[in-house]
Amino acid sequence: MSNYIATVGVEVHVELKTNTKIFSNSINGYGEMANSLTNVVDLGYPGTLPTLNEEVINLALKAATILNCKIRREMHFDRKNYFYPDNPKNYQITQARTPIGYDGYVEIEINGEKKKIYIEEMHIEEDTCKSAHRGTKTLLDFNRAGVPLIEIVTKPCMESGEEAKLYLEKLREILFYGNISDCKIEEGSMRADANVSIRKSKSDPFGIKVEIKNIGSISNVALSIEKERLRQEKMIEAKETFKPQTRRFDDKLGDTVLMRVKETGNDYRYFPEPDIPFVIITDEMIENAKKTIPMLPDERRKLYLEKGVSKINTTKLIQNRVLSDYFNNLLNEFTNFQIASNLLLGDISGYLNKTEKTINDTTLTKERFIELINCIEDNTLTSKNLKEILESILTSKKSIKEIIKENNIENITDDSAIKEIINKIIMNNPESVNDYKNGHDRAIKFLMGQVMKETKGQIDPKLAMEILQNELQ
Amino acid sequence: MKDKLSKEEVLHVAELARISLTEEEIEKYQIELKELLNDVEKINDVKGYDDDILIACWSENTRLRKDEAKEMLNPKDVINVAPRHSGNYIEVPVVISDGEGA
Repeated sequence: MSNYIATVGVEVHVELKTNTKIFSNSINGYGEMANSLTNVVDLGYPGTLPTLNEEVINLALKAATILNCKIRREMHFDRKNYFYPDNPKNYQITQARTPIGYDGYVEIEINGEKKKIYIEEMHIEEDTCKSAHRGTKTLLDFNRAGVPLIEIVTKPCMESGEEAKLYLEKLREILFYGNISDCKIEEGSMRADANVSIRKSKSDPFGIKVEIKNIGSISNVALSIEKERLRQEKMIEAKETFKPQTRRFDDKLGDTVLMRVKETGNDYRYFPEPDIPFVIITDEMIENAKKTIPMLPDERRKLYLEKGVSKINTTKLIQNRVLSDYFNNLLNEFTNFQIASNLLLGDISGYLNKTEKTINDTTLTKERFIELINCIEDNTLTSKNLKEILESILTSKKSIKEIIKENNIENITDDSAIKEIINKIIMNNPESVNDYKNGHDRAIKFLMGQVMKETKGQIDPKLAMEILQNELQ
Repeated sequence: MKDKLSKEEVLHVAELARISLTEEEIEKYQIELKELLNDVEKINDVKGYDDDILIACWSENTRLRKDEAKEMLNPKDVINVAPRHSGNYIEVPVVISDGEGA
């Protein structure tokens, strides 16, 4: 157990899912040929002027709403000045004084308890161009220059890497479901930096802050915070002094390493961006943003559990947005939702993965899916037989009953018909019946096997066993 | 009030601007930059500046642009105007070796 308490704050950059860039009408895209998605504004040509994309404001308002932030009604942009090749204007347009959202929170669950992670502020800014270092050269690709970002800054209110990880997972989930960003960490559309300091007790002032940049995955955020906490503890115990610094997480080392110390605070010489006048946020803009927010994961979770879906299936459904949206279409119907979720996550997902399709590429309409659920529920269709006709179900438009009939796999559900078959088997196997009556339990398994053979498996084994036991009395 | 900047202050500003200075230049800028600063500081005498910032010379709100893509530059034209390029990338000297700007 450590003698120190860690204090952790997290800054996240998220790329917004717009068609065009924040200040120019070139395409906001990823994975295209280098420098093919640019225009004179993105390249910082002299004399060009920024024009603010309305969808950026709309998505930022949605994000602010989802993050329970207060919204600033009159805001402007600022210039953050620094000389670096990723930014040919020599300044980045950002919001230093009037962030669009502030004083929000995200709720996480840690060790079974709910905790609010407080958001200090979220602001809008432009992304820089992408630079790659190759030996003595730096290569620049301006496709990313001017991609709209929101930066979300928490208060220093977390105490461990685990908490930061849970916060980031929650943030990614809600921003993804909110259609604000695709939040792909591996493509850089969500990037996290962490600030870590340690102190002996909560009444002490905060310790010396170390910023960790360039963390490539959520699990590495947790790991790098724990490594940094240990490093600071060792230094303090050894009575070594250290300065506020920026470090980066090295994947291969599995540890943080010192980066070159860069400009901070006043060195950026922030001043209001004179090329973009005040932006006034109207009630109408806020309402429009709010009413197009899709159902978020927490609400989905609550509804699914209420409808009788198991906890594990609920979690799995929410991990797959397309399936979850499909499932949501069913919610107003009267059906067995646990069976529905089992089907979607089991055999149907198996088929979709194998064929690289999504549920929306299949012919499984809501009506046909409900029919399928009913057939499973009333044992017209066994799960074994389902596998045989699954492809037909997902590719044809015929009713499920028709497909069952065509494939001659209709389950025998009529009690008297089952009784007749069972009595025939009892008659033909007097030895096993005697064995069973003398207490040899294994004999009934043999008799059941005969029933399944006779019916070619087209019978509900549970129902058959019940009738068999009754008939043997 | 001191009448010139310290050598460290001048070197710090030079570092931010990514330029190197000779000893003579440093000495010159210690005085010249201080004179500039003295002039700029006069802005502090303006009352009410903090509460009512002026960012543009008219009072209209920003007009927002529709999120619709228009024609972009040909990538060949983009890289051909750069002093150096490597494939479709613009090439520049390494400034720092790890991490990125902002």
